[in-house]
Amino acid sequence: MLLTPEVIAILILDTIFLLFGVFAFYISIPIALKWDINSTSAFQYGLEKKAILVATIIKYIFILKLPLFLFFIFTADKISGVITGAMCAAGVVNSVSFGLSLFVFKILNLYIFGFWLFLHVEDMKDEKLRFTKLKFVIFIAAFFLLIIEIFYEISFFTSLDVDKIVSCCGTLFSAASTSTISFLFNISNPAIVTAFYISLGLYLISYFVKNAKLFLVTNTIFFIVSVLSLILFFGTYIYELPTHHCPFCFLQKDYYYIGYIIYITLFTGTFIGISGSILSLIKSKFSNRYYNISFLFNILYTIIVTAYPVVFYIRNGVWL
Amino acid sequence: MNINHFMIGFAINSILRRGVKSFFTLFIFTVLIFLLSSILFISNSIKTELGLTLKSLPEIIVQKIQAGRHTNIELKRVDKLLEFHGVKSAVPRIWGYYYFERAGVNFSVVGIDAFDKQYKESFEQITENFDFDELNQDSSMVVGEGVKKVLSDNYYKDYFNFIKPDGELEKITIAATFKSSTSLESNDIIIMPKKMVLKIFGMNEKKATDIILSVANPEEIPTIVEKIKNLYPDTRVITQNDLRVSYQNIFDYKSGMFLALFIVSAFTFFMIVYDKASGLSSEEKKEIGILKAIGWKIDDILKEKFYEAFIISFIAFLSAIILALFFVYTLEAPILRDIFTGYSRLKPDFSLPFVFDFQTVALLFFLTIPLYIAAIIIPSWKVASMDADEVMR
Amino acid sequence: MIECKNLTKIFNKNKNDEHIALKNINLSFNKGEVVVLKGASGSGKSTLLALIAALSKPNDGEVIVNEKRISKMPDNFTSLFRRENIGFIFQKYNLIPTLSVKDNIILPLIPSNPDEKLLENDVDKILEKFSINSKKHMIVKQLSGGEQQRVAISRALINNPKIIIADEPTANLDAKLSIDFINIIEQLKNSSTTIIIATHDPLFFDLNFVDRIIELKNGEVI
Repeated sequence: MLLTPEVIAILILDTIFLLFGVFAFYISIPIALKWDINSTSAFQYGLEKKAILVATIIKYIFILKLPLFLFFIFTADKISGVITGAMCAAGVVNSVSFGLSLFVFKILNLYIFGFWLFLHVEDMKDEKLRFTKLKFVIFIAAFFLLIIEIFYEISFFTSLDVDKIVSCCGTLFSAASTSTISFLFNISNPAIVTAFYISLGLYLISYFVKNAKLFLVTNTIFFIVSVLSLILFFGTYIYELPTHHCPFCFLQKDYYYIGYIIYITLFTGTFIGISGSILSLIKSKFSNRYYNISFLFNILYTIIVTAYPVVFYIRNGVWL
Repeated sequence: MNINHFMIGFAINSILRRGVKSFFTLFIFTVLIFLLSSILFISNSIKTELGLTLKSLPEIIVQKIQAGRHTNIELKRVDKLLEFHGVKSAVPRIWGYYYFERAGVNFSVVGIDAFDKQYKESFEQITENFDFDELNQDSSMVVGEGVKKVLSDNYYKDYFNFIKPDGELEKITIAATFKSSTSLESNDIIIMPKKMVLKIFGMNEKKATDIILSVANPEEIPTIVEKIKNLYPDTRVITQNDLRVSYQNIFDYKSGMFLALFIVSAFTFFMIVYDKASGLSSEEKKEIGILKAIGWKIDDILKEKFYEAFIISFIAFLSAIILALFFVYTLEAPILRDIFTGYSRLKPDFSLPFVFDFQTVALLFFLTIPLYIAAIIIPSWKVASMDADEVMR
Repeated sequence: MIECKNLTKIFNKNKNDEHIALKNINLSFNKGEVVVLKGASGSGKSTLLALIAALSKPNDGEVIVNEKRISKMPDNFTSLFRRENIGFIFQKYNLIPTLSVKDNIILPLIPSNPDEKLLENDVDKILEKFSINSKKHMIVKQLSGGEQQRVAISRALINNPKIIIADEPTANLDAKLSIDFINIIEQLKNSSTTIIIATHDPLFFDLNFVDRIIELKNGEVI
């Protein structure tokens, strides 16, 4: 067990989230079951007030989870100093068998909680509070996901072992290794680049057509393909090394912290695209602004990520 | 999201209006952050100090082990070790700890011979500045600053009487005092020619305390270590990396322990804040009623309460960090630093190097502010959702 | 403009100390009317005002203001409704003593984060109207009773309300201040503002600018 101060901070916050989460869950059950906006009973008014408390708790958790996610990466990076073989956060995360799943799970939860807040804002604008019941049903599901994430995270930190030697990203992110994602590295460069630009194309089509269902689907595809192409192809141009596939290293100072901008644009663009689409499917009168914001961020991402190989080619006359 | 500066002004005024209560909360929060940040700053400084020290340590140390304990190693092994590919130099070391009973401290006594390849730059400088043959002839030694001070305090100004294992005294003059790049190093070290060290400790001249190796390529260290262990199974081989890892672990362990204590105080703090935030005077209740009547939503009242919380947190955070910086780096952190300095032999008077980084601040932030905010969520909500019709009576 | 339909309010329903504050009230108020609600304490005046201001919800019936069914709306909507439409004058001024005159007056608008310049204009206009501009930055604690009264009224007017609600406004005032207050109310009367005053002060029962007097007893209109 690796009890650095950073790990303790994360565990303390996890405990707070857990406790508050359980409390919010407990309050949410009567809301999900017995909510009746047309009732004039004191019980209903009590529920309305409790709904505000739950929303406040969820806002608190979400607002902290975002920077905490970055802090998690930073902590993993720091721990890499003590675990033999790990040279950055990637190595540490993968030193535990479910490390990668935990990581993906955390991102998923951020999307879900973010979406809940989106829905909440829309709900509050509605006189009839039509989405409250739906909101709380979603929260109950999200709560279980939160619990799973927290327990995963606690187990993650408790299973970190200083004595175990770990593979670093060089071996993880390559076709030769036996890690879960190694099969992906057999995809050729032209193939993955084509896939990326096709998914971009689909995305653009759905943007111009302004069809919410299509937009939802293309955003999801774009997200997945972007992450893959980033690891397999674009990342190598940031490092200017055809074998360096690590998705973490370009978050560091040596690469001018470009990683943060890349991830923020990609996550924001797809998140708003996905949430916006879902909301406009639920609520008929939802503003179309989300199309534009998603577009802005996703295009920004594309430009940045395309710039690296293009600039490299211009400067060197060859591809990697 | 625009910042509502009206709300900020109102929040500040509310804090002032609450006077004693606000101040109390601010005070204990500041104390909490102060203690925490002091510990973290001290720990960071010592780690940095150690990092510097470690750089000057040998790449590989070979020790002979008998019955699980360290014992002196045969000098003839040095040549064997030099035969390994990649080993640049192999130097036998003669050194030990001398316990000065009167002062209750240990000195590290290190033997140096001028023609040896020195593994530490500071020693290199000493061999350049002092003629070791002369030291040998005159029975003199060169001491670190900390040693000089301890000896002076005990009335040994120009020389010192070592007590040999056979009970006889060996008088050795202090030729000079040296300074080194790190305070930890210079404090408890005495340097003298090897022959004299052998005499003081009554050691066998055909043996050494341990053998240190330097290698051409640090990547090869693990391989060389294997080879040594195969050749001499009765040895313990310690690499620079091993030391680095073990120090980081001790640190984190000690910090971890302290943080476990912190959790207890944090919990107490939480309960206090929760309680304070829940207890409302009738005046405060009336105020909420008024605000509601004139058109504040529950959400607005909550927002205002959070603004108050952020203001208090921010002030506490800033003050505590500034106080901690002052406490640790100007006052040299009396009392608190003793938690960490148990590892060293002397109670050194070294000064803590100034280390301040963003990551520590981020850590402090995550450990404290969310805690405070969590404590006020439920009380603030209870207050904000109170029924306002009473204000009509 | 304001319609009360079958309003019923019961406190502590189904408990031992159950109290029916209002029984089946049906009333309406027109734009520009000045109405006095007369009745002893406990007659339900304050409860009725609270319901009209959507500060509490009825057990039965509803309040409709300008076609909006405010009794059914959730808290954030009713609060906004109050902020935009209602000016409150309380029995005890209910100002915040450590805030300045200006800060007290703008209090209702703070959550909307209004434009600084526009707000400043409105505040100055109102201060001028009540001749207290010299006191703009003074702390309310330091003002006289009459000045505080005017600050309280200014606060009620800063949002250009369509409805002014006063609950026992003269209960804590001496004769002079009471008359001052009545004069101010008379000045406020105009065609687009409804003024409802709940009081048992006889000074109000014989005023020519009052359009209607409604009497409440034991939760019912008589």
